[in-house]
Amino acid sequence: MLQLKPYNLLIQKTVSEAVEAAQQGRPLALDRIISDFDYTTFHMYNTAEDQAGTVYLSVRTKAWQSVLQCGGLLEYLQEVYSGCTGVTLLQQPEQGYDLTLALQLTSSPTEDTVLQLSLLKTHIMASPFKLAFKEFDVLKNVPVDPETAQLQQGPASSLFAIQYRDDETIFIKPANDRITVIFDTVFEDETDKIFGKVFLQEFVDARKRNRSIQSAPQVLYSHERPLELGSSNHPNLQGQPSRGYITFVLFPRHFQTQEVQLSSVYQLVLFRNYFHYHIKCAKAYMHSRMRYRVNTFVKVLNRAKVDDDDNDNQPAAESSTGATSTGPTRRTATGRKLVY
Amino acid sequence: MSYLNNPAVVMDNGTGLTKLGFAGNDSPSWIFPTAIATSQGTATGSNKNKAQATGGSNAGGSNPYFGNSTSATSFNNLSSQMLMSNNLAGKRGTEDLDFYIGNEALIASQGASYSLSYPIRHGQVENWDHMERFWENSIFKYLRTEPEDHFFLLTEPPLNPPENREQIAEIFFESFNCAGLYIAVQAVLALAASWTSSKVVDRSLTGTVIDSGDGVTHVIPVAEGYVIGSAIKNIPIAGRDITQFIQTLLRERGEADTSLRTAERIKQEYCYVCPDIVKEFNKFDRDPEKFAQYVVENQEKTQKKVVDVGYERFLAPEIFFNPEIASSDFLTPLPTIVDQTIQACPIDVRKGLYNNIVLSGGSTMFKDFGRRLQRDLKSIVNNRIAQNELLSGTKSTGVDVSVISHRKQRNAVWFGGSLLAQTAEFKSYCHTKKDYEEYGPEIVRNFSLFNMV
Repeated sequence: MLQLKPYNLLIQKTVSEAVEAAQQGRPLALDRIISDFDYTTFHMYNTAEDQAGTVYLSVRTKAWQSVLQCGGLLEYLQEVYSGCTGVTLLQQPEQGYDLTLALQLTSSPTEDTVLQLSLLKTHIMASPFKLAFKEFDVLKNVPVDPETAQLQQGPASSLFAIQYRDDETIFIKPANDRITVIFDTVFEDETDKIFGKVFLQEFVDARKRNRSIQSAPQVLYSHERPLELGSSNHPNLQGQPSRGYITFVLFPRHFQTQEVQLSSVYQLVLFRNYFHYHIKCAKAYMHSRMRYRVNTFVKVLNRAKVDDDDNDNQPAAESSTGATSTGPTRRTATGRKLVY
Repeated sequence: MSYLNNPAVVMDNGTGLTKLGFAGNDSPSWIFPTAIATSQGTATGSNKNKAQATGGSNAGGSNPYFGNSTSATSFNNLSSQMLMSNNLAGKRGTEDLDFYIGNEALIASQGASYSLSYPIRHGQVENWDHMERFWENSIFKYLRTEPEDHFFLLTEPPLNPPENREQIAEIFFESFNCAGLYIAVQAVLALAASWTSSKVVDRSLTGTVIDSGDGVTHVIPVAEGYVIGSAIKNIPIAGRDITQFIQTLLRERGEADTSLRTAERIKQEYCYVCPDIVKEFNKFDRDPEKFAQYVVENQEKTQKKVVDVGYERFLAPEIFFNPEIASSDFLTPLPTIVDQTIQACPIDVRKGLYNNIVLSGGSTMFKDFGRRLQRDLKSIVNNRIAQNELLSGTKSTGVDVSVISHRKQRNAVWFGGSLLAQTAEFKSYCHTKKDYEEYGPEIVRNFSLFNMV
């Protein structure tokens, strides 16, 4: 089924294999490159001297710089991986990568540890979301002025930006009663633009039409710059009129508990990938319809062909009687018999 | 453009198995059957629910986000009558999205609501609808790549019609918008993979490739990177026939377990190629140590069956060299076929072809397969030279026959692709999306060859 997992299947598989092999006393030599969405590359390797001991997992991702600017990333990752025995964050990441984790194979890592490792990219993206959740907790206690419905005073809420692709960004804006998540998107391909527009429109409307998903966050789509972005002068917000903005409005019920928080983040982080995957699936479906249609046309055309049976017999019959082969066998360029 | 830093994706879709991975790795990241299980179309509501039940139980996760159930909105679950009116998703179901590939497909097809199909037959894509969906799922779900950010290297069998290449290009550029595409011939990649062997001194793209997979064995001569199509020969003996031969031997002897699976495991673990059958029979009779035992356990590990492994250890791979022991309709041994293939090639490349015979595919993995082939072929060639010398009275300079086996043989095609795709020049050999839009699909009829020096 059309399901993308928040974790990287390949990392999960490779780490489990490495763990299993080490436990059986036949450690693997590892030097693997693994990729993930949005310019993310992992490098999993071990050293020849210490094959049974340590596996290193390095990550390089486009989002790293912007997430680091939001702050608290390393602390957050430290917190996540402190719960996993045998995993340590190296002070000095591998050359050319943003972060390197070391996994002690001797500490017999559990399935959960492996899962957390394969969630590495998601955790990096989740860090600003966590900051937003924290800020929401502060903001919701700030009293609201009943007349102007404005926050009375207190800190201005911050805007977190994750630049996860060259010209696409996720903005997260906490407020006192909601958190707004805005994706700005831009399509390079003309066909994608149309597919994307139809798809997003349908996505926005789905909530209105389907009663059972009323509890899902509200989705808005527009080409207008949402007000939440305020006067932010992020470089991605300049120019390009084809830019679209997809806004998700998260209400407190979407991040009440840790579990709900996590699942919200998983869904949001994968949103763009799902979105593009769906566009591709839609195209594949169109193609299969087109092939089907062409096949039926070809069938019709085949039916219109003159069958060769009677023609095959004729020349043989003529040669036996010695008649010249003019007249009855004359044909048009397309092979149809000429009828006088 | 930051996609330049992303590793290229190497995909080798074979008849039986698909090999997927990233350039620069030494082995494919995913190897799974080229199979797709699609839901059985116009099912009624109850059937759909069953499909979801099986899908959900596969993953067995309590957490819905890790599970494999249908999308969160799950339109299928609703009594769809009221949706029908105005919702696009209601107007047509999501049947086209309801499919599994690879190992998951094999599991899903055991249930009633999915039917299994193999989109590739005899190396060539037969069902483009299924293949497109197979690629879609393998790119997004298994490799987790956005095709727009990566270059792709795909493989094709020799004698693949150019129309098929165009189809591939249409799918990859139009559906997936991939950044760049290179379609390589499998035999050429297998030659490139042999450069890792210490026996290879010059990195030439001239040689004979013996590609033996599960279904069929090809002997393909390649000169300077171009396949000599007219000389290609096929042998209807490959991995599956060996397995079936072992199975019949086991059955004739009345072993406790004669399933195809057991036969396959015996093939992989115990079989080897012997230099001489008669001597090997004698050796077995003198030395009972040679007989092995294979223990079959059932899934719950409660019962054990012991299967004796005897002469089939060397008899099974022997059907390449003496096909008459297994079949009655194909009787030419592999070394003779290789010789005939090379003799059918232009005379000026024959030396190079004898010089560099490269093995590829799982069924060439038997111990000493290469040595035996080299010995048999050498004797054929030497006999002919001796006869020529006798008839013409001149002295021949001799022909050097060498068969190269190396450690990457099993996935040689994929590995060759990985080697080539990690070079800096690779991207300049690819056709990009821009080229495609400029010239149309016929652009992929030609690819410039890698000239590796």
